[in-house]
Amino acid sequence: MARPSAGDRLRRLLAIVPWVVAADGPTVEEVCRRFNVAEDDLLADLEMVFCCGVHPFTPDSLMDVVIDEGRVWIRYAEYFDRPFRLSPDEGLALVAAGAAILAVPGADPEGALARGLRKVAGVLGVELGEDLDVRLGAVPEGVLASLRDAVEQARQVEIDYYVYGRDERTRRVVEPHSVFTAEGEWYLTGFCHLAGAERRFRVDRIAELAVLDKTFVPPRKPSAPQVFDPRPDDPRVVLDLAPRARWVAEQYPIEHAEERSGGRLRVTLVAGERAWLDRLLLRLGPHARVVDGAPAAAAEAATRVLARYSAR
Amino acid sequence: MASSSANVRLERLLNLTAALLTTSRPLTSADIAERVPGYPDPTEGRATFQRAFERDKEALRDMGIPVTLIDLPGSEPVEQGYQIKRQDYVLRDPGLEADELGAIHLALAAVRLDGLPGTQALWKLGGAPEPGTGTATLAAIPSVPQLVPLFGAIAQRAPVRFSYRGGSRLVDPYRLAFSRGHWYLDGRDHDRDAPRQFRLDRVDGDVELGEPGSFERPATMPDRTAQPWELGGDEPVLARMAIDAEQARWAVDQLGPAAVAATRPDGSIVVEVAVSNRDGFRSFVLGFLDHAEVLAPPDLRDDLVAWLTGMVGG
Repeated sequence: MARPSAGDRLRRLLAIVPWVVAADGPTVEEVCRRFNVAEDDLLADLEMVFCCGVHPFTPDSLMDVVIDEGRVWIRYAEYFDRPFRLSPDEGLALVAAGAAILAVPGADPEGALARGLRKVAGVLGVELGEDLDVRLGAVPEGVLASLRDAVEQARQVEIDYYVYGRDERTRRVVEPHSVFTAEGEWYLTGFCHLAGAERRFRVDRIAELAVLDKTFVPPRKPSAPQVFDPRPDDPRVVLDLAPRARWVAEQYPIEHAEERSGGRLRVTLVAGERAWLDRLLLRLGPHARVVDGAPAAAAEAATRVLARYSAR
Repeated sequence: MASSSANVRLERLLNLTAALLTTSRPLTSADIAERVPGYPDPTEGRATFQRAFERDKEALRDMGIPVTLIDLPGSEPVEQGYQIKRQDYVLRDPGLEADELGAIHLALAAVRLDGLPGTQALWKLGGAPEPGTGTATLAAIPSVPQLVPLFGAIAQRAPVRFSYRGGSRLVDPYRLAFSRGHWYLDGRDHDRDAPRQFRLDRVDGDVELGEPGSFERPATMPDRTAQPWELGGDEPVLARMAIDAEQARWAVDQLGPAAVAATRPDGSIVVEVAVSNRDGFRSFVLGFLDHAEVLAPPDLRDDLVAWLTGMVGG
């Protein structure tokens, strides 16, 4: 492991010294644990603190470090009795992480995290929820916690899953490898028994979840989370977008774009799943025209939905 | 063991911080050479001393320690000295209870903001109170370079200027929001004299901060949780729609349980939503393909039928 630089060690010491001053004789072990430092490194740093202080460096102007029976005291360091202020990036890291967890369904708005975070935000001069709002994606309460438990305990899960792209429900057993969020949605990755391969699922499309007693051997290294990975043989579709539909090019990964007259844009999209394309075309209506790939898709999709309105 | 030169530097940085923090008057570089051990002797090589001191000063500033340069009172010609003002240095004690610090520790372990120093932030609050939980990172939130300066500007109520989609914007920043995978800034655009939202990955280059304390944030902010069909200028109407059983749970997650007006014996539901943006509502309904149907009011239903009929005919 690379040795931390003098700057990194100083940063850590300027946090450790005030904490030890206030704690009045904590164990060396606790200091190491709290500040994630090896005992040897901590002792070396404290030995150095012992030689530091202020002009004229007479014994009474040096900081005093006493280590006795595994406990540590620091005295004559009143100028270091508080850590130095949080920088904006540290403050943001703290508040954003906390705000993200608080926005997960089921989080207690009056719980320890909420209370602690409000105090930190107060010191920083910001208001939670007003100045900073972090949303990781909506998922049903409880599902996320169950999935995380299943990952940690390496237990299989059975899910009733809605395949959005094919508009169908499927039941399958999955060995859950990881739960994470990306691009504003929650995902589960794992080995799917139905597919016989590693698959990724959107948590909000899991209609039912049962954590089974059956365990599995977790992979040593779960594959890196990938949100969108088109296959070369996925069908492509070419669309002409009216000016009002140009947002499609910003929202979806497009393979090719070409400016046309009148502010229109011609784009090539990967449309691996038919229901996905149907939704896009229904939404765009008269503002898009399929030029190539699935020329009848829009009319067919509209006809299916219309059937529902003429049935009565 | 650490190399001895790293130890010498650390010792010098610690002594320098203590000296600048305890002094009652700004210290000139000559004072510092005299009062802080470990510097090369300036009488032997002025440039060597100055280089070492400059490097240390920058190291402290990079860390966020406020080393200020101040004119010495009564000096003629004006001399300048350095000082760390205690009120600028100390972190006000937030007074965290043990369980509150524990919860913040867990949150930092679970959510990582790319490239931001969460661990160091935790140290300043008292470090990790519990042994590492082994919790895997749940979410890695992307970061953009403009995020930190904008966060600072919001806290200070300082207007910001930045380049956005090819034009320069002057904005009173009100709120940073992360939603659907992107960071947004909500604020008041000076030139348009209206609230605007900016997607941060479309901001080009640096953010310039103006005078702190230049504005008050409005008491009422646009609701971030608003649905697309609620954000519009259309005359608001209460729309009823039926949603099939298999899609019902997902719809309730999106709309909240209060929107459900009825649950039918087959498990399908009827929901009511206030619509003031008809385009947004139509997109929402059509996202269900043929698993949902607009029931009322008649003109919304007719709008949808006309939209679909146009697609079949075209």
